[in-house]
Amino acid sequence: MIRTLHVTFRVGTADYALPAAQVLHLESFVTATHVPGAPPYVAGLVQVRGRVVPVVDLRARFGLPPVERTIDHRVVVVQVGTRVAGLLVDSAREVLQLDETSFEKPPEVIERQSAGFVTAVATVAKRLFLLIDVPRIIGEELTHG
Amino acid sequence: MKRLLIVDDSKLMRDMVAACLRPLGEVAFEFAGTGLEAIERLSLTGFDLVVLDLNMPDVGGLEVIEFVRAQDRSRALPILIVTTRGDDENRTKVLEAGASGFLAKPFAPQQILEEARRLLPSKRAEA
Amino acid sequence: MSERVDLQEFIGAFAVEAEEIVAAANTSLLEIDVAIGQGTVRPRAVRDLFRALHTIKGLAGMIGVEPIVEIAHALETLVRAADGAGGVLDRRAVEVALQGIGAIAERVRAVAERETIDEAPEGLLEAIAEAAARGCAPIAMAPIPPEWHARLSPGERQQLALALQTSDPVWTLSFTPSETNASRGITIASVRARLGAVGEIVKVIPRAIAATAGGQTGVAFDLLIISNATQAVIAEIAATELDGVIAVVAPAAAPGRQITEVMDVTGVGAEPPAPIERDDLPAVGRAVVRVELSRLDELQDQLSLLIVSRFRLEREISSLAELGHDVRRIREVAQIQGRQLRDLRRAILRARMVPVSEVLEPLSLLVRSLARSSQRDVRLELDGCDAELDKAVADRLLPALIHLVRNAVDHAIEPPEHRVASGKPRVGTVRVSCLEVAGNFLEVIVTDDGRGIDRAAIALRAKRPIDDEATLLEVLTSPGFSTREVPTTTSGRGLGMDIVRRITVSDLGGKLSVTTHPGEGTAFTLRVPVTIAVMDVFSFQCGPQSFVVPAVVVEEIFEVLPEMLVVPPNAGTSTISPADRQASKWPRAALALIERRGHAIPIVSLGTLLAIDSGERARKALVIQRNGDRIAFTVDRMIGRQEVVVRAIDDPLVNVPGIAGATDLGDGRPTLVLDLNELGTIARQRGVS
Repeated sequence: MIRTLHVTFRVGTADYALPAAQVLHLESFVTATHVPGAPPYVAGLVQVRGRVVPVVDLRARFGLPPVERTIDHRVVVVQVGTRVAGLLVDSAREVLQLDETSFEKPPEVIERQSAGFVTAVATVAKRLFLLIDVPRIIGEELTHG
Repeated sequence: MKRLLIVDDSKLMRDMVAACLRPLGEVAFEFAGTGLEAIERLSLTGFDLVVLDLNMPDVGGLEVIEFVRAQDRSRALPILIVTTRGDDENRTKVLEAGASGFLAKPFAPQQILEEARRLLPSKRAEA
Repeated sequence: MSERVDLQEFIGAFAVEAEEIVAAANTSLLEIDVAIGQGTVRPRAVRDLFRALHTIKGLAGMIGVEPIVEIAHALETLVRAADGAGGVLDRRAVEVALQGIGAIAERVRAVAERETIDEAPEGLLEAIAEAAARGCAPIAMAPIPPEWHARLSPGERQQLALALQTSDPVWTLSFTPSETNASRGITIASVRARLGAVGEIVKVIPRAIAATAGGQTGVAFDLLIISNATQAVIAEIAATELDGVIAVVAPAAAPGRQITEVMDVTGVGAEPPAPIERDDLPAVGRAVVRVELSRLDELQDQLSLLIVSRFRLEREISSLAELGHDVRRIREVAQIQGRQLRDLRRAILRARMVPVSEVLEPLSLLVRSLARSSQRDVRLELDGCDAELDKAVADRLLPALIHLVRNAVDHAIEPPEHRVASGKPRVGTVRVSCLEVAGNFLEVIVTDDGRGIDRAAIALRAKRPIDDEATLLEVLTSPGFSTREVPTTTSGRGLGMDIVRRITVSDLGGKLSVTTHPGEGTAFTLRVPVTIAVMDVFSFQCGPQSFVVPAVVVEEIFEVLPEMLVVPPNAGTSTISPADRQASKWPRAALALIERRGHAIPIVSLGTLLAIDSGERARKALVIQRNGDRIAFTVDRMIGRQEVVVRAIDDPLVNVPGIAGATDLGDGRPTLVLDLNELGTIARQRGVS
């Protein structure tokens, strides 16, 4: 049993989880500076703790229609290598210990449908958490080429 | 309705002068914070009396008087100078330049009210 | 209507305005003191100081506070003599003036708190009178154009002479008020304010002109200003023609003459004039060249442009690679160039470094003045400050340090009796120390041995628990909190701890922390980068967003109305189709034409080019030029011009053409820096269907 801390958040009707080691901090979200010409799933730029950070709107990234901003919305600030980016989610409340050995591969049809964003599924007390590929979500493939 | 222009770079001073002159009755006050604004304002509209401080940035009261008096249409405009420099030398210089009245700070509210009354054309004079 | 007007009801307003004037006077004195340290003078600051004293004397007289009138009058005499000598005040005079203003500040506070006001101290009045009688050694003045000689006061002549001597650009121009101008909000007051923001105004002289029936009044204003702004910007501000902004140059020096004029000095015992050499070599024997910061800024701006085109080069290389070309050798060259740019950047940044001790100099003066007016016994210690800092960082940091030091003297250091009673030395110590920290950072620590911060009291006031120092700092620096502190005479209003945080963290990209021990003292640590990239930019509004562009690329800014645009054949209309937006493609933005100074320039709406706005409300156009090709972009309105810290945003998610970086205009949100050259290329490409 390998239990590691994960940050969980909600986008649409699904719960997702990220290793806490990848998460720098959680911020509330007011507004982002729109960047003309950036991919449509980029909400824009925000300033967090003195840093300018691009924010990916996960609803848009996951193909969901947009909703009105509420105070529950959060930006999960993550670090991948030297890159720091933000993930805009509907809400982020819990931090859980998840047992990595219990992670299962997602059903193939889901894996394909989610364009590789979902790498595993965890079950905790009858709740499903989708583990996501952060580098892919923040467009790591854009850095090559 | 008489139109008064009050020129002083201190907002407090402008407010105090306005308060002192309110008993005049039917008056509309306009304010300027520098000699430059005063000149500009005077060139755009007409006033019945100008209350002017001597000491202001860039263009002081003396230059405003000289400028205004040099223009034909403003020769008769009553200009009341208020200044901290109450010495006689200054008084003479200022009156020679064309000021209509001279009042040294600090002055009592009654003093400036009387000077203003003296300088404003009375209703009876208007034919 | 009652005719009895009682001016006593203005006492509250008097206290407020007097406090502002005292603060302004102190600032002028600080400037003069710093200038003395640099071996030069500040005639403008002396003039401002004189006016401040004159004003407060008048106001105090009206309200009836005699002691303030007396002190102000004495100081006025002292400063008037200095102004007449070309703006010269020596250190002793500054010291005595400081004491005088401190005495005034004390009495203003007494007025505010309805306490009895002490008589003006005899000793002080004597000291001031003695300084006035002593006079100051006059200084030499470089030659100025004869036609200005007669129109300027001695202080103003010195101001002009200094500017010409240091090759600061000096301009003369005229502004003509008119009803048209006034209806657009362009008045002599607004012109003066805006020019004052981009430079230093030496003189404004009204001149009678023929009044016309068409709304021109009978007056024009001739201005003499010192400014690094371009002719184009100055002309735009003053609503005048570009060729109406004329450069003022020093008259050709006659061979062999060094001094053309010596200021008259009032007072006895004046010493014979000694020319002040502005390029003295320091005793250590280093070869030193005094360089105006503006020249380094210019170097920096050019470097920033180089860096921006470097990003574009990278993108072009990537595009070629995508098309299958072998880009290895080009990449190699680009990498070498990148390294060379980095080295160049480091070299320029090194040239902008100033010793921290120089930056902190004004703090000792401040502490002396504060200690006096708040009746504390405090001294300032500066420690480890031979470290060096980028001048731009230093300039931004100083207000934050000033606030922390003020706070320490005002709130932290206890009254002398209190300190002695608790076993502390009578004299409180505020220490500013600097520590170089790995990774290009400097830690500036402001420590005091005062009463420490009462965490419990703060928690109570903030209505939340404070478990650690990080939370304490958060509460102290939250905007709502700071303004609830009771403002005292010396704390100043408005500059709260939240601004200290904004400067340190958002502006400079650093960190702020605090440690405190009740009864023992407090230490604020500001970690700031040693160097930052600073750029001179224009800011403007386009649609829902504001943007900035480097000022150095903008050739001209002018007002544009829809009817001025000429739409050539096949331009079509600019529309943003939903399909375009989905695919995040640029729409076909139509290029129109506009006539400017006898030429036709292509003009495009920035809003439609960036697909963020229809561009209907655009009323201003910015013209850029490259290799003789001009193009204009229309925007809604100009916001202003300022120096900002630019952060490169190189994350691939937002690495898009036309965006060169991000900055903070002061609202805490990122504002994009646009690369107009790149956008111009895009506009030209899109314009061809």
